Amino acid sequence: MNRVRTFLLASTLAVALPVSADIAVVVSPDSGVTTLTRSEAINIFMGRYRKLPNGDLALPIDQSTLKARFYRALVDKDLAEINSYWARLVFSGEASPPQQSDSAADVRQLITHNANALSYIDSASATDDMRVVLTLGE
Amino acid sequence: MRRLCIARPISRWGRARADDVRAAPARPFGVVWGALRLTGSGLLAWALLSAALTSAAFGQTLGDERLTFSGFGTLAAVHSNQENTDFIRDISQREGAGEGWSGKTDTLLGAQLGYRFTDELDVVVQGLSRYQESGHFEPELSWAFVRYRPDPAVQLRAGRLGWDVYQLADSRYVGYAYNWVRPPVDHFGTLQLTHIDGADVTFTQPVGSDLVRLKLYAGRSDSEIYLTEGLSAEFDVDQVYGGNLDYETGPWRFRVSYTQVHSDVDFRGPVADQIDSIPFANLDANNVLGDVFGFDRITLFSLGALYDRGPVTVQAMVNRSKVTRHDGQIDSGFVSVGYRVERVTPYVMFSKVKTTSTNPDGSDIDQQTYSVGARYDIAANLALKAQFDRIDTQSPGFLWRDTDSDWNGGWSSIFSLGLDFIF
Repeated sequence: MNRVRTFLLASTLAVALPVSADIAVVVSPDSGVTTLTRSEAINIFMGRYRKLPNGDLALPIDQSTLKARFYRALVDKDLAEINSYWARLVFSGEASPPQQSDSAADVRQLITHNANALSYIDSASATDDMRVVLTLGE
Repeated sequence: MRRLCIARPISRWGRARADDVRAAPARPFGVVWGALRLTGSGLLAWALLSAALTSAAFGQTLGDERLTFSGFGTLAAVHSNQENTDFIRDISQREGAGEGWSGKTDTLLGAQLGYRFTDELDVVVQGLSRYQESGHFEPELSWAFVRYRPDPAVQLRAGRLGWDVYQLADSRYVGYAYNWVRPPVDHFGTLQLTHIDGADVTFTQPVGSDLVRLKLYAGRSDSEIYLTEGLSAEFDVDQVYGGNLDYETGPWRFRVSYTQVHSDVDFRGPVADQIDSIPFANLDANNVLGDVFGFDRITLFSLGALYDRGPVTVQAMVNRSKVTRHDGQIDSGFVSVGYRVERVTPYVMFSKVKTTSTNPDGSDIDQQTYSVGARYDIAANLALKAQFDRIDTQSPGFLWRDTDSDWNGGWSSIFSLGLDFIF
């Protein structure tokens, strides 16, 4: 009974609410990359191993307006934890965080100009000039 | 090699703009250098203000998008109930925190300048002001190196580098990076060096979804450690070399490390002077004390494991340092577990250190510490911490200062409050 009730409730919610906004990891359509696993995305954005599946150097870009949602979806951490993580790597001189960008427009421009760049956008705002290689549910 | 074609220079962690680089807001050089020249409270106040004003990301560009400035610091006070001896954070500190409150044990400020020539090549310079060997807060040059990454799998660095002897050792002054007020004294407090002047190379190899990392390094170094307030050992390290092998799988990072330190040790202070001046004995303090402490050749073996997933963090390490003296060794280790609930991360920790040799004497250390504390993230660049340590000392050795001659150990309670920030 409970399961049926949960299902009905879930279905009602699914119909009643707009599609929950997922986060899409995007690259340039010129990039040789068509898909990315979650662990590859973690390696690239967390500075562990910045290589794209096609062998090229990965250039991750953070977008400030979506950053908190992205890292919550990617590694289940908030911005204080992400900064704490980077403080260790930056101040030991081991690695540098992704480049910081202020807006979706900046991200779009950077990505379309560089086949090695990757960033993230709200799934709802995906357009043809960027290729979605991974979708993170929230 | 495939060249990166980015239309304009970009910074790795500064703000990037897709329009004209020159339009980027410039923080005038004069302000930054002026602030760096300030000392003590003025500098701390400036840094705190900076931390409070910056946004969620830390680090800022200085006019040129390739030039970045960032920093870290800790304002902390420690309270000890121990009347027989003084508490220290590590053996570079000449004086400790006596009974009552003290602010100098953990308070520090660091700043970093980075300049990126290309996506493969950059330079980093970092300075640190903390209570150190000189007995003052004089700023020191922590790092100054060139970093070259010809490929994501290879990193080369040359210059002054952090001594990456075991996990977290080269970030042990970056309070914002960990939950504790300070790294466990039993484990990190006996480390002899902070930096090496030399080079390192790191290779990274994916294995399925895991990563294997190998780092090799070599160089020379110098440092001064205090054995008591009246006796210090100056290390002229002509060779330090070693390596780490890391295995990263999911939330786990495992490491094995090995290091060799070869040095000429020069003993200084009133105790050394007294040995030199004993009439007719014709003693040389360096020979006498060198036989006692045997620090001229040290070999370190380490194992470490870090776990970090969602709200849970675990750190566990053991280290064995062998010294030349009478088969002497320093064994230490700790385990710490934290669990984050919203902005608060409570944690517990146990650490232990014990020295052994075939000829035990008063310089031997034997103690263990039980710690409980919490970190509260006020903002994404500011954290408040409180920590309570119960230290069970069987033999204080050189981990305490100004020890009463009739004190051979006992329980101490240390309470610490700290404010850590990054900018």
